[in-house]
Amino acid sequence: MTVLTTHKGGFGRLARRPEAGSFLGMIVVYIFFAALGGQNFVGSPGWSSWLNMAAEIGTIALPVGLLMIAGFLDISVGAVLPASSLTVAIISGHFELPLYLGVAGGLAVGLLVGFVNGFLVTRTTIPSLILTIGTMFGVMGLTLGLTILIAGSTGVFIVPDTLSHAIFGAALGGMFQIGIFWWLGFVALIYGMLHLSPWGNWVFALGGDKESARNAGIPTRALTIQLYMLSGFAAAFVGVTQVITFGSAQVAAGSSFIFNAIMCVVIGGVTLTGGAGSVIGIVFGTITFAIVNQGIFFSGLDPNFGSIIIGALLLTAVLSNDTFRAMALRYSARK
Amino acid sequence: MELIKAFLRRPAAASILSLIGVLAFYVVFGGVDLFKLAKAASWVNFAANLGIVAIPVGLLMIAGEMDISIGAMIPAGSITTAILSGYYGLPMWVGMAGALALGVLVGTVNGLLTVRTTVPSLIVTLGTLVGMQGIVLAAAVLLTGNASVTLAAPDWAKFVFGQLIGGSHQVIILWWLGLAAIFAFVLHKTRYGNWIFALGGDKVSARNAGIPTERLTITLFILSATAASFVGMCQAIQFNSAQVSGGMGYIFNAICCVVVGGVILTGGFGSVIGIFMGTITFAVVAQGIYFTQIDRNWSNLIIGAMLLIAVAMNESFRKLALSQVRRTAKKEA
Amino acid sequence: MKLSKMLATTAVLLIGASSAYADGAKIFVIGGKADDPFWSIVKRGAEDAGKVVEAEGGTVTWLAPQNYDNLGVDAAELIRQAIDQGATAIVGPDWVPDAMDPAFKAVVDAKIPLVIYNAGGIEAADRLGAMNYVGAVDYKAGVAGGDYLGKAGGKSGVCINSLPGAGNIEAYCKGFGDGITAAGGKADVLPLPATAEGNVTAVSQAIKAYLLQHPDVDSVFTTANLDAVGAVQGIAQAGLTGKVKVCGVNFDQAILSQIDAGTQACAVDQQGYQQGFYAVSILNGYVNYGLTIPTREILTGPGIVDAINIKSTLSGAKEGTR
Repeated sequence: MTVLTTHKGGFGRLARRPEAGSFLGMIVVYIFFAALGGQNFVGSPGWSSWLNMAAEIGTIALPVGLLMIAGFLDISVGAVLPASSLTVAIISGHFELPLYLGVAGGLAVGLLVGFVNGFLVTRTTIPSLILTIGTMFGVMGLTLGLTILIAGSTGVFIVPDTLSHAIFGAALGGMFQIGIFWWLGFVALIYGMLHLSPWGNWVFALGGDKESARNAGIPTRALTIQLYMLSGFAAAFVGVTQVITFGSAQVAAGSSFIFNAIMCVVIGGVTLTGGAGSVIGIVFGTITFAIVNQGIFFSGLDPNFGSIIIGALLLTAVLSNDTFRAMALRYSARK
Repeated sequence: MELIKAFLRRPAAASILSLIGVLAFYVVFGGVDLFKLAKAASWVNFAANLGIVAIPVGLLMIAGEMDISIGAMIPAGSITTAILSGYYGLPMWVGMAGALALGVLVGTVNGLLTVRTTVPSLIVTLGTLVGMQGIVLAAAVLLTGNASVTLAAPDWAKFVFGQLIGGSHQVIILWWLGLAAIFAFVLHKTRYGNWIFALGGDKVSARNAGIPTERLTITLFILSATAASFVGMCQAIQFNSAQVSGGMGYIFNAICCVVVGGVILTGGFGSVIGIFMGTITFAVVAQGIYFTQIDRNWSNLIIGAMLLIAVAMNESFRKLALSQVRRTAKKEA
Repeated sequence: MKLSKMLATTAVLLIGASSAYADGAKIFVIGGKADDPFWSIVKRGAEDAGKVVEAEGGTVTWLAPQNYDNLGVDAAELIRQAIDQGATAIVGPDWVPDAMDPAFKAVVDAKIPLVIYNAGGIEAADRLGAMNYVGAVDYKAGVAGGDYLGKAGGKSGVCINSLPGAGNIEAYCKGFGDGITAAGGKADVLPLPATAEGNVTAVSQAIKAYLLQHPDVDSVFTTANLDAVGAVQGIAQAGLTGKVKVCGVNFDQAILSQIDAGTQACAVDQQGYQQGFYAVSILNGYVNYGLTIPTREILTGPGIVDAINIKSTLSGAKEGTR
């Protein structure tokens, strides 16, 4: 029998945390691209590039991750993003109402779609994957139809006032978009909700076994609706920041966020079957994904290989997470 | 009354009712001429191309797995065929074998990763989807310098895979009907079919009952990836060209066909007839709008609404079927 | 008994209703997908011309693929569908000749008057036996952009391809490369992975990174509306505003305001509205009255919108016609 000398809370324990795998993956990809990308990548251009991308995908990945821990999927985020951008642009650009009304409208669209998703998932037995594909198509159709009906074209243009631009669209140091700080704020908020409050326990319980959770007295229906409204809100929020940063909203936007968010969450160690995962893991997964996506442009690699590298990295990250988890379970079982 | 109940219990029931509902919607609100629609080839061609992929994807879903890499496998099949036989001028059968071999290879990778690790098949195939998107783009651009490749297929290939019957109906429709018949036979009349249902019901019990679950799963993944590259191959032969693409559209379309056809996501329930009817229903929804004067801008809204209504119907009928079984069991007890 | 009689009468009425408009032209237009910023303007042009068509008892039906994953194949199918649905005139773009020419030949064989627009050029119209060609040529639009940037002093350019594989985008980038090379510079293409699709932040960060890694690049050519907006942001974040010039195909209000503000050098205009409008009008005139336009090649572009003619273009964009 091997006796492992452990200090209390030593390195061994840290290595067995579920986030260890995603942390390791993040370090590995960073070193890989730093070696290829040189000065620009390790300097602020590199950091700002992947941080800007991570902030947006990360904001959406957090509630998508929560939903996955609770055992649900949300495919409609890809359609909520442009819906919210266009709502802001139409209210404040086309109808020229004040921007705070536009922002409120955009966020309200996200909350509404989230409510519809949550309501339908809890009132019917339609699986969340199919349901949110249906709402995705529905929102896409409504966005296009209404935009053309109201604005006459597929894109709408706004000129944000300086205050709104400062809050949602500024670039600090010329490079770091303020969305990064919003994202970090969300991370802190969601971390508190998931890991430090009883609400978070409910989410894990829901993912573990829905029936037992309900029998234990957890308000599963309300909880599910809250989770979906959270993801709708997050997608709408990113839509708001994008339209204020760039001054333009297009109908055909947001599709890549669906699978990108799922990739970040999975690289971060959240299991699809639900009941396990952590906010820190999702953050590491998001950073890893963003580094891979943007690092390619700093390296000398042919961008045509971009997708291959992303796919290979996804599989490697997921497999290594899997191995880590198996090792952890084996170790604790041996004890 | 009993006949109706028996009909509703079949997985295909909801898709047939959805089809009637969709047709009624298009006739009443869109002014569609049903005779014209029936004669038209567009939705049948669309259904055939999608249907060949939807059936093995549906079988995988019945077995409790998911394959989204088919989105990239369709363009992979057509690009492989076009590069081998078009750009490099190799004999036609080399191009065809290449496309099908690629399908077997990717399917094997998908299957092995799914059975040997605890990673869910959705994530595994997401990885192979992204990877294949990249490989197809890189191969096309680096080997030929172009994102689309031309192919001039010989007459025999065109006759078997790429001709138009009556000037409008693609021959792949016959392939679809044939493959559907074979898959229906295998699923519903052979023990392999039972194994697939068992696998979807409970993997562990299935393995304990002696079913070779690992080999079965890998075989199903090979079938779906190869079916996708087969469709791509036929398209390259018929249309003389292949294009690089991400293929995301195919994924959602295939899932819609399968789900409208009565297959449930958690596995263990479904039928090939259901998937077949689901494909026809989806094709009518997606293509039927072109026969109306409804503004195209609303097409996605109609697709989304139809999907939700059809799936809701599926769920209620299935509950009806299960409650009927329970009631009969109680009576007999 | 009553129910079946009612159904039968309804059916007869519906069939009868659809044949009431047999007098006018049944024009079918094959175009790009509905949420594409450029094609929604072409559709608007076709629909506006359609008002005349409908006033004369005809219809204009717009057929478009769901996405650009399989352009040639989908478009060829739509052309055949138009024939199936009894079109008396067809407008179509020759995006992928290998895939679409057989379908166009079927149109001509069925004695349906055909106008090629948007892609293919007069060569396609001649080859296929179409009446006219209306439009710009994607390749030439790229050349115009490359030529403009090259003449403005550009020595090294990059074309941003956010939809690798789509024939029209590939043609833009090829044209750009040839245009700037002819003006004495060199060009490269930056393809973006599918994970950047529909994400303007990812595009702008990628352009920023590319420009910093390739400091000799001074010209950026974009092939999509959002990419142009993203490019200007990316250049600003890289601190290269003024040093790197941006030109792009198509435009909307956001892009025009960039040209007005000087952060974008030019936009290549294909006047999509004209393509839809004139193609439909030509066919309507021919089917109803036998009128033709003997100038078989009607070019709607490429035109350049830059600081010189920005003001007049701005008002049109607001209307959704430019």
